[in-house]
Amino acid sequence: MSSLDEIFNPLLSLIQKASFDARGKSIAKRKTRNPNLPSSKWVSDSRIGSDMGKSLAIVLNTIGCSHARSDIGGCTMCSYLLDGSNVIISSDQLQNQFDEAFRSLSDKDGPLAVKLYTSGSFLDSEEVPDEARQHILTRIADDDRIREVIIESRPEYVTESRMNELRSMLADRHIELGIGIESMNDKIRTICINKGFSTDDFIHAVDVAKAERIGVRAYVLLKPPFLTERDALTDAKRTINEVVEIGATTVSINPINIQKDTLVEFLWNRGVYRPPWLWSIVDLLLETRVSVSDDINIICDPVAAGKSRGSHNCGVCDGEIIQGIKKFSMNQDIRILSSLSCQCKETWKHVLSHEDVTLQTHRDLIIDY
Amino acid sequence: MYNLGAERHLVLFSIGRGHDGPARVGLLKLNEHDVPTPALISPMDGGLAHFYATYNHESFAPEKPILLSLGSAFMWDFESSLDNTEDMMVLLPSFPGLSDISDSSKDAVLQFQLEIIERLSDTLDPSQLVARIPATSNPNALSDVVSKISEKGVTSAAITFDSTSGMNDYNSIFMRAHLPRSWSAFAFGRITPSVIPLLYYVGFDFFDIGYGWASASQNIRLWSYEQERITNDATSRFCGCTACNQSIQLNELDNTKANATILQHNILVYRTVMSECLHHSKRGSLRQLVESFTHASPSLNALLRTIDQGLYDYLEEFTPTSGSGTQSLIGPESYHAPSIRRFREYLKDRYIPPSHKSIILLLPCSARKPYSDSKSHRRFISTIESALGSLRSRVAETILTSPLGVIPRELERIYPAANYDIPVTGDWDDEEVSIGADALVAHLNKFDEACVVVAHVQGGYKEIVASAQERIRQSVIYTLDEQSPGSRDGLQSLRDTLTDLKEILQLENIDSRLFADTLRATADFQFGPDAGMNLIPDSAKLSGKLYRMVVVRDGGVQTCAFIASNGLLSLTIDGGRKIDSLERYWVRFAGEDIQGGSLFAIGVKEADERIRPGDEVVILNNSGKLLAVGRSEMSGLEMCEHTRGRAVTIRHKVGE
Repeated sequence: MSSLDEIFNPLLSLIQKASFDARGKSIAKRKTRNPNLPSSKWVSDSRIGSDMGKSLAIVLNTIGCSHARSDIGGCTMCSYLLDGSNVIISSDQLQNQFDEAFRSLSDKDGPLAVKLYTSGSFLDSEEVPDEARQHILTRIADDDRIREVIIESRPEYVTESRMNELRSMLADRHIELGIGIESMNDKIRTICINKGFSTDDFIHAVDVAKAERIGVRAYVLLKPPFLTERDALTDAKRTINEVVEIGATTVSINPINIQKDTLVEFLWNRGVYRPPWLWSIVDLLLETRVSVSDDINIICDPVAAGKSRGSHNCGVCDGEIIQGIKKFSMNQDIRILSSLSCQCKETWKHVLSHEDVTLQTHRDLIIDY
Repeated sequence: MYNLGAERHLVLFSIGRGHDGPARVGLLKLNEHDVPTPALISPMDGGLAHFYATYNHESFAPEKPILLSLGSAFMWDFESSLDNTEDMMVLLPSFPGLSDISDSSKDAVLQFQLEIIERLSDTLDPSQLVARIPATSNPNALSDVVSKISEKGVTSAAITFDSTSGMNDYNSIFMRAHLPRSWSAFAFGRITPSVIPLLYYVGFDFFDIGYGWASASQNIRLWSYEQERITNDATSRFCGCTACNQSIQLNELDNTKANATILQHNILVYRTVMSECLHHSKRGSLRQLVESFTHASPSLNALLRTIDQGLYDYLEEFTPTSGSGTQSLIGPESYHAPSIRRFREYLKDRYIPPSHKSIILLLPCSARKPYSDSKSHRRFISTIESALGSLRSRVAETILTSPLGVIPRELERIYPAANYDIPVTGDWDDEEVSIGADALVAHLNKFDEACVVVAHVQGGYKEIVASAQERIRQSVIYTLDEQSPGSRDGLQSLRDTLTDLKEILQLENIDSRLFADTLRATADFQFGPDAGMNLIPDSAKLSGKLYRMVVVRDGGVQTCAFIASNGLLSLTIDGGRKIDSLERYWVRFAGEDIQGGSLFAIGVKEADERIRPGDEVVILNNSGKLLAVGRSEMSGLEMCEHTRGRAVTIRHKVGE
């Protein structure tokens, strides 16, 4: 009898190849943008500690995630690196990008938070050279309004020296690392998502960060491919409880949105993948908010929510539910979620049980014959 | 619980008598209780006896599901003990969507089924396991995996449908057609009532009606052929079913009550359709039901026609060669129905024109069957006789029709020629003309070039002859300009033409060959070319009436009888010896002697692969000695594959 590894390992290389093939030439064909401007930036209302404030999110234009650029195809659902550049961005250019984005805060009062995204890992010096990183951190450090800094990174770049640098430069600001653990189930994270790191890597990163009182914002993926809706919900619940036990300081639920040239898009085009229902998000938030201790926020900002490429319900209740999820992310009050209702919830309940029997993706429209 | 190595298994699936295409009735014996098939299978809360549930997700008591799904493979706990599952079928885990990504992934997904069967063999009896076969599986890899799965004792499969246009559902059906017949087959997914007859027809035993829940939850009420969205601003349709009758206006009910009513109604519609299928299958008219249901949607119609083309061999093998009752052939989907196409092929492959035919008279068909009983044909026959007298036997009376093509008078009582009915408008579509022309050309090519073709036809029939003319070697005489074939002028023209030909061809006198021609043509059609001369040599004596029965005596011994009611020959033991000498339509019994009036499949060692359900066959014992003659209930391959069920109903045994 084959061991479980012997059964599952061949699937990994199939999926890696498929993920790589799905990307096609998309990485090489990235548009050339002005390298002195960020890929995007936006300011939004945010809960900072126990106050309401504003947060600036910056997507720096870099060469992009090393994992996605590798020949094992990167994560099966992510093509954020397509926002990046085909050519190496210099340190000076990155500093300019940051400075440009930072100007959006010039007229804002505190408290403020800054979120640094690169469609990859901010701590990867191939993406963000040391000089640029230090410039950015210095500018933040010089601004008293900024109380919170969130940086995204894969765990392999979370080193003692980086953490040391962050803490020493940012004084006693609240710092969190956004890490895409996605799922604590090894098979799911490794094979369905092709994440390319182990739970030990994650745990190590949490510990290394903790030593400098740097928190970890665990990104939990809702609905990796090759799972049913109920599987995904069950796995996300387990994952959230486990990452909290490990020491995550915030939980960020990331419902899948269909991104271009990913394996997930390939499956979606063939009708064998559907983004998660909004009801699944609501159920997940309700249950984990009760099981997880109050000092850990559970947030969710679904991308393309209500659209066919994003998390959606029937079309009628989507708006109200999305508002509810947003409000909950702000105030953590479950009452706004538990009061939601729509007839389509019955359809969702049927989908949860039926998919586990048929292993077939439920389509949204009722067919003609 | 079970005995590895012994024949006893927890679960047994046996197939009952009767065929209407691959559809069958069966019995799934699950440890303590029996489930007759075909059966609907549903989510838990429908009040139906046969429901499914997923392991560790739903609690069910006191009723148990007949099928337990183990969910998807990435979440499956390989250490599960699976207690208390003796009364259930267990649906194996697999990977949603994985089979779609590449050819290698298709094979990996199938391979996983083997792996999981291996792992579960310690915990569960393999006869309980239901393997998942993705529709996108590689057909070449499938047969290899299927034989390995069979070897492990698994004899059941689940295939999903998504009821959309395109090849998906064809692929699902293709998979079923390439699984062993003896396996029970579950159809899951998005299955509307309108597709159930087709799925039953192609050999599924269990039908997932979960779609009734999905639609009810969206206020959609299902009907046999269509769907109705219940909304506030429109009056809903009348329905007298026990669910709806309690709520005259559905859209005035509150949501929960409306959904519950609609759900119960939807379940009743599935049950109604299933019952229709069973009823028609027992009457031998399932194919017709399937054809009429395909008018529910263009894609369903296209699906049937694609299946007819791509899976003809599979469908035809299980289509009986005899039947009673009228078979309506209404649309283009009937043109290539298995019994119809097979008739055209048998005619092409097995019909041999008698050498004494000098004139081939093409005639239009008639609504009344057999044609000779119709007013028009009685006039034709009377005209032929008045022109030719006893030389009538020199005329090959050949009826043109759609979609059967060409029917020699000798075969006018045989199935399905004597049973079919078509809408008659005077117009023939291009496909009909093409089918008719091809059939006519192939038929006429068997006749001597010196024969003369007399086309006593009008309208669409004439178009067929004209369309075929340049491929016909014989000369063709058209008897009609504008007259209709049955009119006085038309018949006069026919009489004149035949009278002239009698002179020109200098036709020599001949005694009536009507009986011999009819019986020989029938024998060739039933048993293959040359069976006619073998069974009814020149020395044979034929007596009786063609409209009732004609008995054949050869050397003083009756060999067979022509039965007008089904147009077939029924063999005696002596007739059986003759067929045996041709080495066709034989079944080899694995023992010395048969007791009783039936030969069961378990006793069949080998059989002629030509055999179809309904065929006349001879039974030989293991040393090759003729034991009996009878009527087959299965196809030749089936009798060899199955270990249960009746193979042949015996009519005569040696020594009786």
